[in-house]
Amino acid sequence: MAGATMDVNIVSADHPVWSGTAKSVLVPAYAGGMGILPGHEPVLSVIQEGPLVITEPDGTKHSFEVTDGFISFDSNKLTVVVEHGRTMANQPIDETGIQ
Amino acid sequence: MGSQLALKGRIASTGSLEKIFNAQEMIAASHIAQAREVALNAKPYTDAIFDAVQTLVSHSHISHPIVSKEDDNPRVAVLSLTADRGMAGAYTSSIIRETEDLLSRLDADGKEPELFVYGRRGVSYYKYRNRPLAQTWEGDTERPGVEVADAISRALLDAYMRPADQGGVSELYIVYTEFINMVVQKVRVLRMLPVEIIKDEGAKHPDPTATTAMPLYSFEPSLDEVLDAVLPKYVRSRIHECLLEAAASEVACRQNAMHTATENARELINDLTRKLNASRQASITQELTEIIGSADALNKKEE
Repeated sequence: MAGATMDVNIVSADHPVWSGTAKSVLVPAYAGGMGILPGHEPVLSVIQEGPLVITEPDGTKHSFEVTDGFISFDSNKLTVVVEHGRTMANQPIDETGIQ
Repeated sequence: MGSQLALKGRIASTGSLEKIFNAQEMIAASHIAQAREVALNAKPYTDAIFDAVQTLVSHSHISHPIVSKEDDNPRVAVLSLTADRGMAGAYTSSIIRETEDLLSRLDADGKEPELFVYGRRGVSYYKYRNRPLAQTWEGDTERPGVEVADAISRALLDAYMRPADQGGVSELYIVYTEFINMVVQKVRVLRMLPVEIIKDEGAKHPDPTATTAMPLYSFEPSLDEVLDAVLPKYVRSRIHECLLEAAASEVACRQNAMHTATENARELINDLTRKLNASRQASITQELTEIIGSADALNKKEE
């Protein structure tokens, strides 16, 4: 599936947070953590406060602290819209993802 | 002919005023870059929310109070965006004029407008005239952050969602200045609530292999809760957009006003300098005539 990547775009109310391509994203969805892989069905979901983890195609992980917003996935493009979003730590975290 | 000392004094004071105006103009010019940056940073968020709302509209029939409301409540809210500081030419006064127009129009329609004001100049204008204000905000009109937009939209949505018998309002109008370019800014009245959502027809799915029907969207946890989450954010981002545009217009107005003031001061200085020269020349001529005249008189006596 087209290298199995998707476009990810994270925006917060006052500035864009992150954008790029990823092979998987873990979002703190309404009913617990929700993993999104490329080619997911179109979805629009409310998210909670919590950590959001992005895995880039080369395996690098980025994690963000997000609060109150929603995600929308359509045409292999994930948009995360949050009130506040910030990078949790600049170094990549270990394989388990969310601690 | 004025005294030379008085003219010199006026030239000096006009000169320092000119320097102040010039500095103000440069400050405004630097704020424009900042205002543009803030607006650019907020754009992706606004776009994303707009896309989400479009998605919601195209996949479902929305019946949410933010989109439509029964219209028997005569109370309406008017938000007018003015400046915190003066020295911006006609910026605040044209907003106030337009607001007054709108208020009298609404009155004529049998509505009961409630006034919300943002910006110190507008607030003091209405306070001085003892006009009842529903709520006011001050500060940061040149650089409105998300916090201000949040406070304003929360108060207004609160007033909008309240039932009519508890003082709720049925519509919201915003009077703000649209930024067209550096020279032209236009006062506009916008009906913000209930939201009018225009369906974006076609052109979104250029790929012919895609199914002709819209892909089935799933909304989590439910359509209503997604609407509850997205629509207030949509309204807030629209209000923030208006604030940012008003801020850009304010800064541009201020720069233009200060530019004109600087030029006026320069003209005045030129005028005064000319007068000073004329007056000095006149006094020199007078002295010369006196000297020559008296010398002549002395010479005639000797003969």
